[in-house]
Amino acid sequence: MVAYQVIGTPAPRFEGAEKVTGRAKYAADYTLPGTVWGKTLHSPHAHARIVRIDTSAAKRVPGVHAVITGEDTRDGGLWGRGVKDAPVLAYGRVRYIGERVAAVAADDEDIAQQALDLIEVEYEAWPAVMDPFEALQPGAPILHPDFNSYFGFKYKQETPSNIHLQTRLDRGDVEHGFAEADLIVENTYVTQRQSQGYLEPHALLVHIDPADGRVHVWHCNKVPHNTRGALAVAAGIPEERIVFHPTFIGGDFGGKGNSRITPIAYYLAKASGRPVRMISDYLEEFLAGNPRHHVIIRLKSGVRRDGTITAHQVNYTVNTGAYAAFKPFGGIGGANQAAGPYRIPNCRIESTFVYTNLLPGGFVRAPGEPQGVWAIESHIDEIARRLGMDPAAFRLKNLITEGDEAPWGEQFEHIRAVETLQAALDASGYDKPKPAHSGRGVAVGERGTGGGEGTAEIRLNPDGSVVLATPIFDQGTGTYTTLAQVVGEELGIEPRRIRLQVWDTDVIPSDAGLAGSHGTLIQTSAAREAAQALKQELIRLAARQLEWPEEAIGFSAGELRRADTGEAVPWADLLKRTGQSVSGRGHVVAPRSHTTAFVAQVAEVSVDPETGEVKLLNFTTAHDAGTVVNPIGFQGQINGGVMLGIGYALMEEITIEDGRVTTLSFGDYKLPTPRDIPPLKTVVLPSSEGDGPYHIRGIGEAPCTPVAPAIANAVEDAIGVRIRELPITAEKVYAALKQRGRATEPAAQPAARGGAQ
Amino acid sequence: MEAISPYRIRLTVNGEPREASVPARRTLVDLLRYDLGLTGTKEACSVGVCGACTVLLDGRLVASCITLAVQVDGARVTTIEGVAEGEKLHPLQQAFIDHGGFQCGICTPGQIVAAKALLDSNPHPSEDEIKDWMMGNLCRCTGYYQIVESIAKAAAGG
Repeated sequence: MVAYQVIGTPAPRFEGAEKVTGRAKYAADYTLPGTVWGKTLHSPHAHARIVRIDTSAAKRVPGVHAVITGEDTRDGGLWGRGVKDAPVLAYGRVRYIGERVAAVAADDEDIAQQALDLIEVEYEAWPAVMDPFEALQPGAPILHPDFNSYFGFKYKQETPSNIHLQTRLDRGDVEHGFAEADLIVENTYVTQRQSQGYLEPHALLVHIDPADGRVHVWHCNKVPHNTRGALAVAAGIPEERIVFHPTFIGGDFGGKGNSRITPIAYYLAKASGRPVRMISDYLEEFLAGNPRHHVIIRLKSGVRRDGTITAHQVNYTVNTGAYAAFKPFGGIGGANQAAGPYRIPNCRIESTFVYTNLLPGGFVRAPGEPQGVWAIESHIDEIARRLGMDPAAFRLKNLITEGDEAPWGEQFEHIRAVETLQAALDASGYDKPKPAHSGRGVAVGERGTGGGEGTAEIRLNPDGSVVLATPIFDQGTGTYTTLAQVVGEELGIEPRRIRLQVWDTDVIPSDAGLAGSHGTLIQTSAAREAAQALKQELIRLAARQLEWPEEAIGFSAGELRRADTGEAVPWADLLKRTGQSVSGRGHVVAPRSHTTAFVAQVAEVSVDPETGEVKLLNFTTAHDAGTVVNPIGFQGQINGGVMLGIGYALMEEITIEDGRVTTLSFGDYKLPTPRDIPPLKTVVLPSSEGDGPYHIRGIGEAPCTPVAPAIANAVEDAIGVRIRELPITAEKVYAALKQRGRATEPAAQPAARGGAQ
Repeated sequence: MEAISPYRIRLTVNGEPREASVPARRTLVDLLRYDLGLTGTKEACSVGVCGACTVLLDGRLVASCITLAVQVDGARVTTIEGVAEGEKLHPLQQAFIDHGGFQCGICTPGQIVAAKALLDSNPHPSEDEIKDWMMGNLCRCTGYYQIVESIAKAAAGG
């Protein structure tokens, strides 16, 4: 392990004082003179033709500055984070209940609402399809007849269908592998829709400067360069006319990379000639948000009696909802993860992404992976039980080790799956005796560190001040603190001396923002390069100013030091002497990593046999890490990720009836509270194998993925019933217990336990 | 909107007398944020369950998103802007910074105001008491562990 001075030491939040005093400004906190409020009207139909929209009464309301419909926005382009299939406002047809069909800008929210109430929309209802398998049947309503004309989709439809992405991967010979097996196990697992659950609803302020036509945007957006591009397309204007200004972001969890209201606010600002503020209330966030996808995962595995897996087949069906626009490439992960990090010579992985008349799914922390891991890690337990093997021992036998390929063909480096699982088992007391109706369950996952582009700049001024500049809009994961740590490590400058400058999108041409657990890797890489460049500049300046031989000059602990004579000058003295600033900029484009970070978790639960209530007694999480830059932030990512996973496992679900979301507030949609959180034991296994100059393995997403199957496996261990559909509510456990009770009564028919549901 | 003359209200916010004219349906959170410019108080769920908009009304916790502005006529309101003494942070604020008590920070004003009300009435709460008291303040980032730790550390004197 490399020894660092600052990196690896607990660092309090760089922007802490702003956040604890209420000074930190979020998008909804910005205002400009003359700002008006934007609000939208939502479709009550899942699938319908828009026959006519009459906005005349709305336009007559005093205090209304603009009323727009899809007819006013359709001349721009379609909306999307990468692939583009969503109109700014619906025109011609609506495709889900909650889709926005009109928008108003008015002096205040009440007037805007009053105007919305006066808009008359005539619909002609069409047959709707909500189930992805029904949407694949011949004769199903086709949502996107113009699909092949959309931008960005690699998939092309040969005949009109509701499929917008389909993949198939074959490794080895899966049929041959099944023929070699002693036992075939088939199961189907289902996941629910989960809200990102950020507490800041989407908010933005858009101002079009009448003097030069520039579009100024303050928006809670973690990928502002990407969204600037998307807005340019949707608005039909050049990208350089738009500038996103920095704001703090009130929680992301995948949801702050895109918002449907961004281009609507632009069109309202254009139509009204006023700055427009739009704040989604939480009803809209639930009604028309972009939650984690509903996925149906069918798994079929062949195993030998000795626990060798001979073949595995994944059939991964994603209910996209009405639009794919909220997924940058149109897809989500998870299909590969549904094969698991196991040694499987013969594997087939098929995924199908299907349009339906429901709210569109989007990106949520580790998009797709909790779904895939839910399936495989439940299934692995079921196989182990059928074989009469301990589920942990079955995993230890089959987990990939150095030199193995993952089932989908990826060759990871520095694999520590077995070590990570063993650490979780040891820390959790996995083998200790358990009281009645309590059980332990284990699950594993892995998450590579994403690649991407990053830039950082460090500037030293003659007055002794230090400026750290970054294009990153903070969404809470601690980027500024990490950047300041690199400045401390490389230049010996303390955080309290650093002034942070967050760039708007004019300053550099492009940036990846924050996504894919890559923040720490990319930002520390860019900051280190900036520090190296800065040191070189300082050394060159010292050589010129002090007439020292350049090759003899070093920089450490804030001083320029001449090696041959031992003379030293603090950098501030040198700059004071010259009166000039010195800066260094780092720019990196990191490839996707070949290492991955394993995570292994053990849940300990008790189950009430009378009610089916599951109590989480203890939770253990073990992480295969690289260098931990800030232990406080690292632990914070683990804590929050585990909690998001607990919510997914036990309580969170966006419920839908007849196409309509019925959980429309945080009263109906339950986020975990301080009372839902179990004692948590964390094991971190650091290593010097990771990416970038500091050997990083990302931590943002992995902690949330195996939580649900660990809990489901613990429930089966505790009480002998298997839940295959999330969330694991008391009702489901109770029903399963009842069903088993009936099954064990002599007169009852054998119940369909095990096998495909 | 029907023409109803606005109500004139007077209140004390963070020790300072303030006045505003508000329609009857104005919420306290909107009064604070948009009429008085105190944007430290955040609105998230709008139905009184998440705690992001927590303020103290005559020392008691309220959800300002479901409190009407006209109800606070004559009252003392404390918001996050009134927790620090000038530049000197309240021990809770310092503890939240030092112990990872927030990440994105959007729920933090509400968390700190709620925790202040706890310590004002119970200076040395147990972990269970902290968890029970903080049930009304949701956080998606931290999993609460470091919030509970921050409050316990502040109660113990840092």
